[in-house]
Amino acid sequence: MIDWISFFSVAFASIVGASLVVALYAFGLRLLSTAGRPPHVEPAEFTDAITVVTPEEAEREAKRVRKARKRSPLSRAQKRLALAVARLCFVLCAALVLFGVWLIIPGFH
Amino acid sequence: MDHTLLIVVLVVVLALFFDFTNGFHDTANAMATPIATGAMKPKVAVTVAAILNLVGAFLSTEVAKTVSGGILTAEGPGSGVPTQIILAGLVGAIAWNMITWLFGLPSSSSHALFGGLIGAAIVGAGFASVNYWVLLDKVVLPALLAPVIAGLVAFTATKLAYVITRRYDGLPDGRAGFRYGQIFSSSLVALSHGTNDAQKTMGVITLALIAGGYQSQSAPIEWWVIAACALAIAAGTYTGGWRIIDTLGKGLTEVKPAQGFASEVSTGAAILASSHLGFALSTTQVASGSVIGSGLGRRGSRVRWKTARRIALGWLLTLPAAAIVGAVAALVAVLGTVGVVIDVAIAVALIVTIFVVSGRQRAGAAQMKPTAIAKGVSDVAKSSRVVKIRKVKPKRPKRPKKSEVAAGPGKKKPKKKGKGKTKKGGKNKGKGGKGKKYTQVKGKKGNA
Repeated sequence: MIDWISFFSVAFASIVGASLVVALYAFGLRLLSTAGRPPHVEPAEFTDAITVVTPEEAEREAKRVRKARKRSPLSRAQKRLALAVARLCFVLCAALVLFGVWLIIPGFH
Repeated sequence: MDHTLLIVVLVVVLALFFDFTNGFHDTANAMATPIATGAMKPKVAVTVAAILNLVGAFLSTEVAKTVSGGILTAEGPGSGVPTQIILAGLVGAIAWNMITWLFGLPSSSSHALFGGLIGAAIVGAGFASVNYWVLLDKVVLPALLAPVIAGLVAFTATKLAYVITRRYDGLPDGRAGFRYGQIFSSSLVALSHGTNDAQKTMGVITLALIAGGYQSQSAPIEWWVIAACALAIAAGTYTGGWRIIDTLGKGLTEVKPAQGFASEVSTGAAILASSHLGFALSTTQVASGSVIGSGLGRRGSRVRWKTARRIALGWLLTLPAAAIVGAVAALVAVLGTVGVVIDVAIAVALIVTIFVVSGRQRAGAAQMKPTAIAKGVSDVAKSSRVVKIRKVKPKRPKRPKKSEVAAGPGKKKPKKKGKGKTKKGGKNKGKGGKGKKYTQVKGKKGNA
């Protein structure tokens, strides 16, 4: 017998799980940049085989980030709120991943 | 009885070697994207991947139970699949892996393993030794469905990631932060790889133990089997790290951090959920499905059907092809002791060849010989070429207004007005707006 319910539950669990994790993380990033703190990550240094971001592009991006941090239409309290919610999003995202891993470990049940 | 013990020991050794090569093969799958987008340095990435593979192998035993207790009937010495047939199946799987690796064909070590075992079992122990329903339910259908599901999940997740972070005001959208996220998402992939792939080897070893009469059918997986498989896959992952650098130069060029994050979370979620329900799927295929799906989730994406077809064909071929190789190995094995010795000799020869060729590849990589390196590209990296991304400039309707406000009523205002006029003119005249708009603006400029 083919267990279609299992297939359905795998599909459902992965689509809901992955979407939630990605959405929470993306919301966190969005709120971070709303709060005037857009993350800026320089690509790590390694062999010259990879050119995903050129130094010029990285520099331009850094400049934009510095500029954005200076001007924001939000009040200080609003910024603080956005930052707090952003952090909450990241925490929820991490908690969701850990919950997912916890679910599959039989030792915990 | 000594005979059986020897064969079981050989199965354990070969299975662990298979596990090692699996880790060796698949480091790139988990860790290529974070390195490509600059989220992690290669050495750190490889170490993290190895540790998480180790941890992942201890998490669950559902897949191992599927392999040891479901697909083949092995109830002890004298009934079901004998140990030498399992050995033959393993030799078949290693041989098929070797062939695909040498010729750079898209393949899946998991399917090679199942194919080899099934082929060997059918030849060595008859058609009745395979539980076809379990095979269909736990291996074949997951193989077909999982990449599609993963692709769908990745498509949705990528769309979400882009829509949520999209900004129209020209300010930084914070997508660079997905690079940090990728450190965790790729770790999740490494973890899920450990849970699914290491368990297949555990299952094969347990199957041999059951067939040899050293373990009862209902007993849980022995702890030393779990530990050995975990260590083997972790060691393989760590050793396979150098191939990543090759992969990067050739493969993943267009994977953006947001896309990489979404595709990895999807891969991790799909594999973990499947592992939990005992589906033994190919992690490579799931990761490939996710990469393709997430590519399609981006704007301006188009499928290169030719590449897609080639990859899909390779996937579909793996199981039957490995089954044939396994069947041949089983034909040799049923000859008796001589056959087993021949099979083992073939396996040893293959292992030596793998080491020699990989050593040469490594030397080739050092000397930048492109032909040698091209074979080291991971299947997932190849699958990223299925989707072609046309560069789409993000629409920023508000931006001209802002600069206008910032600059005050200066030079830019008349230019804007002019644009508006030409637009209206274009609309009134109906079709062919673009060309006319352009000439009108040009004409105006010429006048001024």
